[in-house]
Amino acid sequence: MIGRLLIALFLLFLLGPILLVVLFSFGSSALIGFPTGPLTLDWYRALWNDSGFWVSLRASLVVALATAVIATLTGTLAALGLRRLGAGTARLLTGGLALPVLMPPLVVAIAIVVLVVRGLGLPLGVPVVVLAHVLVTQPFVILILLARLERFDPAAMEAARDLGATEWQAFTRVMLPQIAGALVGAGLIAAAISLDDFIIASFTLGGGNTLSTFTWGKMRTTLDPSINAIATVLIVLTLSLSAVALRLARYRG
Amino acid sequence: MTERVGRAWLLLGPALAVLAALFALPAILLFAVSFWEVRSFRLSPALSLAAWAGIWRDYAGLAAYTVGIGLAVSALTTMLGLAFALAVRFAVRQGDRLMIAVLITLFGGYLVKIYAWKSILGADGLLNQALIALGLTGAPLQALIYSRGAVIVALVHFLLPFAILPLYAGLRNVSDTAIEAARDLGASRAAILWRVVLPQVRGGLFAAIAFTFLLAAGDYVTPMLLGGPGGTMLGQFVLLEFSTNFDWPAGAALSYALLGSCLAVLAVLAAVVFGAGRQP
Repeated sequence: MIGRLLIALFLLFLLGPILLVVLFSFGSSALIGFPTGPLTLDWYRALWNDSGFWVSLRASLVVALATAVIATLTGTLAALGLRRLGAGTARLLTGGLALPVLMPPLVVAIAIVVLVVRGLGLPLGVPVVVLAHVLVTQPFVILILLARLERFDPAAMEAARDLGATEWQAFTRVMLPQIAGALVGAGLIAAAISLDDFIIASFTLGGGNTLSTFTWGKMRTTLDPSINAIATVLIVLTLSLSAVALRLARYRG
Repeated sequence: MTERVGRAWLLLGPALAVLAALFALPAILLFAVSFWEVRSFRLSPALSLAAWAGIWRDYAGLAAYTVGIGLAVSALTTMLGLAFALAVRFAVRQGDRLMIAVLITLFGGYLVKIYAWKSILGADGLLNQALIALGLTGAPLQALIYSRGAVIVALVHFLLPFAILPLYAGLRNVSDTAIEAARDLGASRAAILWRVVLPQVRGGLFAAIAFTFLLAAGDYVTPMLLGGPGGTMLGQFVLLEFSTNFDWPAGAALSYALLGSCLAVLAVLAAVVFGAGRQP
């Protein structure tokens, strides 16, 4: 009984603040607070007519899609490779590949900017953001795929080879259909992380905006109530991607 | 090298290339830059300790404060996360399903969560409205936002899923048999938690402490938005040195000082978590 109450309080603490932002995005009062005033879509209408919003949304979607595709590829290949190595080497490499996630994103981002701008003399921009996002999302793809491959029976591959399938055929016809859910799930998680990232994008993008940096701009400078609507768009995008991903990947810790 | 192992490295190639080009190489260059010089806004390679001396002089106190905030947030988050994970593991049946609700907020809403706290704790925010409506205070409490407390609350909220996840994963592997055996032998609930359950989740416990500490100590967005002048953290000054002051050597040295102090603290924490309670 106490356990259930505790769980309910925790869920309220975890989800309450997010739900408040969503609620106020439909309130007509310019201030955050109760009463919200009559329900309205005014702030979404304002957003719809804001060209800055569309430009940043487009940039975010391009970055998230590219990140998802590339990170799923590099991460899946890495997971397949790790399965062929000894346990010690594999653990060491997994740890090394996960290191960028454990470092402060600020430091990771600044180091990349220093390399690109000073070391290579190249401009910042969307390609740099995508590569940086691949760096911090591929560890998640690797972890999800390793967990899935753990439950994959290698005997199925051997059976296919014994029946005359080439290694490629065995991979595409036997293994791929079985790990497809995890693959898509991992890609969606990568997309969600990419969409949500503000720190790395704000350094490596150079000019322009992603949805996150656009939101940040509004958060810092204005008391524009349409920020609740942008925040809601951002959270609905990332949370629904995660929800679908978790379902597909059936990932548990 | 066997063909199997050779193939493995080939498969790992792209991921390791990304790691080398965008993490290892930049990290090495950033370390080198911390010894460079800036003269009239031009950065030039050198072997100078000026940046390191400067940050030791200017930022030692702030580094200690940042580590302190990180530790406070990590301790709070880990304890709360443990309480939640224990409740989900032992008090309800559909634990895995509940975890989805927690997991879903792990990958989304970083900025939105901070913004939500700004609107809850602000001078005309929800909490002040509630306090005034209840007659507990006449005028809005200004100190709710732009304070150390606001930064800690927002960081705990953001980091809680990061603590719950590894703790719950660890608790799922604790067998009920051992707990029942301890209970049959007359152990109290506290004794079962301390001597049976916790020793089995050391890995998850350390992961929770480490994740939350690293992410809290390295954050700069939360203190920037909720900390006010009294709640600044080291990350904000890394940003300041790089962008406003254009002092890349100082920013680079400060980045490494931040990393170094975090890793030193983690080493101590690892010794505590994996050393404590181990029977001789």
